[in-house]
Amino acid sequence: MLHAKRQALYWFITPALIAITAIIAFPWAFTLWMSLFDWKIGSPSTFTGLGNYVALLTDRRFIEAIGHTLFFTLLAVIGPLLLGTLAALVFNQKFPLRGFARSLFTLPMMATPVAIALVWTMMFHPQQGVLNYLLSLVGIAPSEWVYSPGLAIPCLVMVDIWQWTPLVMLIVLGGLASMPADPFEAAYMEGASRWQTFRYITLPMIRPFIMIAAVVRLIDALKTFDTIYVITQGGPGTASETINLYLYLQAFSFYQVGKASAVVVVFFVIVVALSLMLFWMRERSKWNDS
Amino acid sequence: MKKLLDRIGLAFVVFVLVSPAASVFLWMLSLSLKTETDNLAYPPVFIPSSATLANFRAVFEQTPFLSYLLNSIVVSGLATLIALALGVPAAYGIARLKARKLLLVILIARMTPAISFLIPLFTLFQAIGLTGTLTSVVITHMVITLPVIAYIVSGYFETLPGELEEAAFMDGCSTWQRFRHVALPLARPGITVAAILAFIFSWNNFVFGAVLAGRATRTLPVAIYNVLTFEQIAWGPLAAAALLVTAPVLLLTLVIQKEIAGGLTAGGVKGG
Amino acid sequence: MTQSIDRRRRAVLQGAGGLGLASMLPPSLAQPALDWKRYSGQSIEVHLVKSPRAELLQKYQKEFEQLTGITVGSEQVPEQQSRQKAVIEFNSGKTSFDVIHLSYHVQKRQFARGKWLEDLRPYFASQAAADFDLKDFAAGGMFYATQSDGRIDSLPLNLDPWLLYWNKELFAAKGIAYPKSLADVLAAAKALHDPAKGVFGMVGRGLKNANVPLWSTFFLGYGGSFTDASGKLLTDGPEAIASATLYRDLLKGNGPAGIAGFNWNESQSLFLQGKAAMWIDGSGFALPLEDASKSKVVGKVGYGVIPAGPKAHVVSMFGDGVGVSAFTTKKGPAWYYVQWATGKLMQQRMLVDGHGAPVRGSAYADKQALAAQKLPASWLEAVSESLPISRPGLPVIEPVSEFRDTFGIALNNILTGSDVATEMKKATADFQPVLNKSEGRA
Repeated sequence: MLHAKRQALYWFITPALIAITAIIAFPWAFTLWMSLFDWKIGSPSTFTGLGNYVALLTDRRFIEAIGHTLFFTLLAVIGPLLLGTLAALVFNQKFPLRGFARSLFTLPMMATPVAIALVWTMMFHPQQGVLNYLLSLVGIAPSEWVYSPGLAIPCLVMVDIWQWTPLVMLIVLGGLASMPADPFEAAYMEGASRWQTFRYITLPMIRPFIMIAAVVRLIDALKTFDTIYVITQGGPGTASETINLYLYLQAFSFYQVGKASAVVVVFFVIVVALSLMLFWMRERSKWNDS
Repeated sequence: MKKLLDRIGLAFVVFVLVSPAASVFLWMLSLSLKTETDNLAYPPVFIPSSATLANFRAVFEQTPFLSYLLNSIVVSGLATLIALALGVPAAYGIARLKARKLLLVILIARMTPAISFLIPLFTLFQAIGLTGTLTSVVITHMVITLPVIAYIVSGYFETLPGELEEAAFMDGCSTWQRFRHVALPLARPGITVAAILAFIFSWNNFVFGAVLAGRATRTLPVAIYNVLTFEQIAWGPLAAAALLVTAPVLLLTLVIQKEIAGGLTAGGVKGG
Repeated sequence: MTQSIDRRRRAVLQGAGGLGLASMLPPSLAQPALDWKRYSGQSIEVHLVKSPRAELLQKYQKEFEQLTGITVGSEQVPEQQSRQKAVIEFNSGKTSFDVIHLSYHVQKRQFARGKWLEDLRPYFASQAAADFDLKDFAAGGMFYATQSDGRIDSLPLNLDPWLLYWNKELFAAKGIAYPKSLADVLAAAKALHDPAKGVFGMVGRGLKNANVPLWSTFFLGYGGSFTDASGKLLTDGPEAIASATLYRDLLKGNGPAGIAGFNWNESQSLFLQGKAAMWIDGSGFALPLEDASKSKVVGKVGYGVIPAGPKAHVVSMFGDGVGVSAFTTKKGPAWYYVQWATGKLMQQRMLVDGHGAPVRGSAYADKQALAAQKLPASWLEAVSESLPISRPGLPVIEPVSEFRDTFGIALNNILTGSDVATEMKKATADFQPVLNKSEGRA
């Protein structure tokens, strides 16, 4: 590539970079700075250096929150990825009322998470909820759903999958839509079976999009707040308390801004680490393909 | 014969995929059209004994719905448009330069929990004198829209085959021309998807609108909380509010989804 | 009992207008001393927490505007967001609101520590209407409004004592009388618990954070106090364990499945459907129970004072009030609003419309008001009998949220099977350092 070309491309990137940096620079500086203090809003602050971080290492509740977060995220990423990719493949086919069906399918993603969470909460109600009613119709005993510590996270994952599978579908579908037709026609000509076409042509082509969706889902799942807060508030007990819930607790229930800032930093490190892992997997798969 | 089985199989799969989504929304529709006694009944009542529009009316009465709607349109619209203007070129630049690390920088905005923005951004806006204005809300929403667009669109640009652009380059096109006339049209489905997603995320954002906005600049999701009265969660008005808040986004998506469909006819995947 | 209300009855000048409250009775009739129009032409911002009190204030807002010539911009914000917004704005030293509606049980000490509210005492003398009558406010309300250093930085709007809601029909069907003690409550719950028929003996808050006031009612009834004189927590002592055991036996043993996740709304919805024999919660949740479009138990609801425990007869209460931001430049107009909002007229209206339990004694005095109120007389009786024995349902300490969280989790774990003593001891051990730190001890 010529030097001039590169320079021009840099100019393409600059405005966005400036905008983002301008908006997040101060909050990040603030957060990093505050994480070195012990400060409860309304009281004077004291400098503690890395004290908050050290405290987090031995904070059992925080460690448990990390565990819950990872468990939730794992399920909430894989579920939508599988279902969403399947849906994208299905919706890539032509069939009558496809547009309508596709719109229906994307509805969950469009609704405000807070409202959806409230509706699901009622649906989960052990005595009054629709879900147990449906179970009873099929002869299954009622479940406590999110009101039980063991089932809380799986139920929350269910809501998350319900809501965000369309996201994956859209991203992958967009990718399918921009794929050239020739390889497929060639394969068809050569009599490739459906499975072969999928495995050797479709899949490699949509893999980058699956990865994009995976990264977006990963970040979102790690950060999930509204759904969990509204439905269980991190309960029962602390069964579904994720890092973000714990963060909210520290920041806006206890007003411990110093400690909360430290949590933000640690949380961020976790998010970056996992995202880099995904990036690396993507690189590796590309390398394998070529 | 095989074709018929195929069609049935496909129909079945579509049905299975669509029913969870559709059924919850049908349930919400049902909730919104029933009275409170019906809504609280168990066994659940699906078809209202007497359908009522009272819940929808309650939403308009209890919240300054139109004002919120206008604010949301302005905020999300502007945040998405600006993000497109800044993010799509950036995505192109990053894709062509293969500058992954810059993507990471932009994604930092998305990786940070929204809560951590509240206090510093509020302090910042207060210092500049922008508290409670629509400008401050739009700026805050950029944190939501810009990373999404930049990240997703750059992925689409990356998968575009380079030959067309190389050819254009040979023809003496400048970078901007290559971007504008070659890459951009090809990546339209991807850009559309990214724009829809950015708009939806911004539209449904609750935290910024509730805490950073002022009384005159509140956005729509706050309306949902407004119908929850203190002494009882009113399911009818809640479902009605949720549907009303979703409606504009739904309409927009229906209109724009044709863009994705456009790409499909060009691709023409057979028997996939 | 109506007798005690009669005893407190006084001639109220406003009462002369009876409860034709729809008509505007200019308070200037009562006292020409205060110039209500002094700040005419100014405007204030009022930040309200979404609640029936806020509904009331907004409903009559125009009256205030006409009375004083002050323009009011008010907004109801959901509780959680209101607290966040309040903290963020107060902390920044500049608030977008002039008047704020606060919940004492959560925000009192926090606001005090930062001195975020204006001390109103000077205004009582210099800028108060003649019928302002500070003594009219109930002791519990003034307790909430007064800080430990004597500052009065808000005025109480509403006291919310907890009641025992009971389903008269279910009780009558099994011939059980209203319980006279906490032990009776448990016995009644056991007798009425019939899951096979879909009826539960007791329903109440199990969700962490929400559940602590329920337990503390029992705790106080067992004679417990949160700390001793030196600040050491007594929440792992015999009273605490006994009350927590009662809590568990009532909710887990005689309550619905999944109660560990119940907040007031899940409890209320079961009670509304006639599926719960008893429900203990705030008195402010009563209105929907008497609404035929929502409730299946209209006319069957009994409102009772929570019975006495073995050592004491105490019930939990919450309270909210209004205050003036210390950072506002419009202290005068803001004070006028506070004064009006907590004035005798508005308090009477609160009673009539069922928007809360007024703090002013005079509100309970007007017979016509009592006759016109939307809730049954038994509710009012229960509330007014509960008020004298009400104590804050949460300790009045600065880290009250941490307290609610720590003990809420402990109680929640007890509901899902953990051992009572272990959990209470652990919670106490966890919380003691937090309390010490906030009180300035090592």
